Amino acid sequence: MSAAPVTILDALLVGGLLAAAGLTLFVPRRSTAVVMFLVFGVLLAIAWTRLGAPDVALAEAAIGAGVTSALLIDAVYERSRRPERATGHHRQVLAVVGAVLAAVLAVGLALVLVDIGPFTSPGPGAADLVADRLDESGVSHPVTAVLLNFRSYDTLLEIAVLLVAVLAALALQPDATLRGVPAPTRTPDLLGLLVRVLAPVLVVVAGWLLVAGSVAPGGAFQAGAVLAGGLLLMRLGGWPGAVPASDLLRPTLAVGLTGFLTLAYLTAALGAGWLDLGAAWAGEAILALEALLTVSIAMTLAALFVANQDPPTPPVGVSSPERTR
Amino acid sequence: MTREELFLAVGAGLAVLGAARLLLTRDLLTRVLALNVASGGVLMILVALALRGGGPDGPDPVLHALVLTGIVITVSVTGFAIGLVRRIEGDLTEGGRR
Repeated sequence: MSAAPVTILDALLVGGLLAAAGLTLFVPRRSTAVVMFLVFGVLLAIAWTRLGAPDVALAEAAIGAGVTSALLIDAVYERSRRPERATGHHRQVLAVVGAVLAAVLAVGLALVLVDIGPFTSPGPGAADLVADRLDESGVSHPVTAVLLNFRSYDTLLEIAVLLVAVLAALALQPDATLRGVPAPTRTPDLLGLLVRVLAPVLVVVAGWLLVAGSVAPGGAFQAGAVLAGGLLLMRLGGWPGAVPASDLLRPTLAVGLTGFLTLAYLTAALGAGWLDLGAAWAGEAILALEALLTVSIAMTLAALFVANQDPPTPPVGVSSPERTR
Repeated sequence: MTREELFLAVGAGLAVLGAARLLLTRDLLTRVLALNVASGGVLMILVALALRGGGPDGPDPVLHALVLTGIVITVSVTGFAIGLVRRIEGDLTEGGRR
């Protein structure tokens, strides 16, 4: 890659990112901080496209900015930030020392990173290695090949982490299901109309992202995030069954990891080795696995959101000046 | 200065800013946000390194795959952390969630 010079757009983007991050972390109102974080996520997605990473940009826009911000906005609408207790000299000294140390660390780290030399294979980089072996992977998009063939252990463990996280979030519920979360009862007409128009579109977009992942930016994560948005929209728009409360929930959450482990055992028992996909059928296996992963990822993200919803009535005795709903 | 160098430096700045705020604040939601900002900085370093380490066909796909994994892990950790924050603050202010 030839080194691209810094343009005005890059400078504006970087300035916006730093400003949004600073506001996210230091404004006193929680709602403002969360909106600033949403801005930060959108700017990050633009930054990924500037850095030639369209897969990452898609995932950031759908997951990083979309799902995370939805989680955060729902979490804070009625609570303001707890005031920092100004407990005198000790904490002020700590803050100043921390700021100085952080500045030194940031400058040092930046200098070291900028100073790292060319980063190409043979050497620490693996771009040429992936390009050479891409024919054996069953897909023609290098990022998908890495995720689901060359380094599928990473993805297997990632799906396991997702499952653990959502089970832990469910464990915080009274009976470890979503039954305790009331479904929205009253749906405004406009929202119902919007859902009827948007939900099929989102499902089609998710399916397209899933299939396109073999040859172009896209794949199970992006498709799962879009599908999660569709499920939540349907739940809010009067189809509470879109995110099942208990019986169907756990199988749907686990089907991705189960499929992945099944493939792993099959390849170990009948094939060349643990997750070693044969070039002849790797493409089909990857697509089938990604379809299962999409379902699990979508339900995981939707369940994380639903599990963090508040009961509709505000608790007695809590003053909530920011409450608007 | 090239584009990679700019984003490497800014990634370092964001990672340290988030990490420092994570360690120095007492507000639980700010900690969750700080973790996310720090994670954005780390991912930016990885994506900029992928650009630097790219071959003729584009940036290094291994690092892009790692970043995708990182984004998904971050959102799952964030979802669980928000659940814990609500639980803790609910218990502190209401004496029980329901």
